Amino acid sequence: MAERSFYDLSVHSVPDGKNTAQELVSMAKHLGFAGIGLSNHSTAEGLLKSDGVEGFDIFRTVEIVASNPSKLHGLVGKYRNKVDVLAVHGGDEGINRAALENSNVDVLLHPSTPKGSGLNHVLAKSASENNVAIAFDIDSLIMSRGGRRVHSLSHFRDYLALSRKYDVPMLLTSNASSIFGLRAPREIIALAVLFGMEKDEAIMALSETPLGIVQKKRHDKNYVCEGVEILEPSLSVQEDK
Amino acid sequence: MKLKVLPPTLRQDRRYFAFELIGGNRVDRSDLLREIFSCASSLVGDKGSSECDIKLLDFEDSKGIVRCLRDRMDMTRAVLASVTSVDGKPVIIHVLGISGTVHGATTKYLEGCTVYSPEEKT
Repeated sequence: MAERSFYDLSVHSVPDGKNTAQELVSMAKHLGFAGIGLSNHSTAEGLLKSDGVEGFDIFRTVEIVASNPSKLHGLVGKYRNKVDVLAVHGGDEGINRAALENSNVDVLLHPSTPKGSGLNHVLAKSASENNVAIAFDIDSLIMSRGGRRVHSLSHFRDYLALSRKYDVPMLLTSNASSIFGLRAPREIIALAVLFGMEKDEAIMALSETPLGIVQKKRHDKNYVCEGVEILEPSLSVQEDK
Repeated sequence: MKLKVLPPTLRQDRRYFAFELIGGNRVDRSDLLREIFSCASSLVGDKGSSECDIKLLDFEDSKGIVRCLRDRMDMTRAVLASVTSVDGKPVIIHVLGISGTVHGATTKYLEGCTVYSPEEKT
C-alpha cells in the first residue's frame, strides 16, 4: 500500500488531557502520524500555537463547548480566525443542529445524545451542504466496554449510513486525553472496519479528509466566504486575455 | 509408523503480528495474555475469538508476536487496539508489522527494535 500521511484532529493536551503537547506529539509521531490537531475544549485555558516539529504538523484546533446555539455561534465567530480546525462538542440536539448548519464549523465531535445517535437525515443533509465533517471517535470503542460500547458501535453504524447517503465528510479521531488514548493509524482503520466502514473510506477519513479541512481556503487572506475570494487585479487581467 | 503431517492445502493460512507493548515495563506474559483474551471476548465475543484463533506466541522485553488467521487480520488488530491496560498500567499494543512466518516477523520487525518509552522521550 502506498505511503500516506495520517492525521488525528482531536487530541487533548494539558490542561484538558493528562499529557503535555510535547509528549503527545512524540507518541503520535512514533505511531506513524504525520500530524495532529491539539484540540482543547473552549472552556479550558491555553490555545496552542502551531509550532510544527520537523516533519510533523501540529494544527491549532479548538473544541467549542457551548450551552446553547446562540452562544455557539458567538464562540464560532470568536475562534474562527484563530484556529486551523474548529470543532464543536456535540451531544445536545440543539447544539448538533446549530453546528451542522454553520458553514464555519469544520467538525462535529461525538454528536450522540443520551436519547439516541443525535443525527438524522435532515441534519446529515445540512452537514453535507455546509461541509461539516462528522467525527467517529474511536476512544468510545476502546475505552468503554459492554453497553456503552454497544451503543457507540450502533450509533457509528447510523452515522455511516447517513454519511454515505448524503455524502457527508467523515473523520476518524482518537479523542485521546492521554498518550495511552492514541492508537496507530492502521489500528484505527481496523476498528473502523468493525462498524462497517470500508477500508478505503477509513483511510480517507484519516488522511485526505483531515488534510482537506486544514487546507481549506479560508485561511487565505483573500478568502471572503464559500465560493467568493478576492483575486489580485493583475491576475484577473491576465486571465481575461 | 511415520507421523503424517497435515497436507499444506488443508493448513490454515496464518499471519503473525509483531508488536511492541508501550508503557508496559515488566509486564508478565500471562497477564498480557489474559488481558488480550478478555478484550477479545468483550469486543468480538466467543464466536469471534474462536474465528480469529488468536495466540500469543512469544513475549519478552515488551516485544512479542501474536498469531491469528489470515482472514481475521482486521478483527485481531481491532482486538489488540482495544487493549487499554494490563495489571492496572495503561498500555498500547502497537503493531510493528505483519508477516506470514514467525521467522519473518521476528527478523523484519523485532530484531534490533527498541521499544518506545514515553518516559525517556520527555
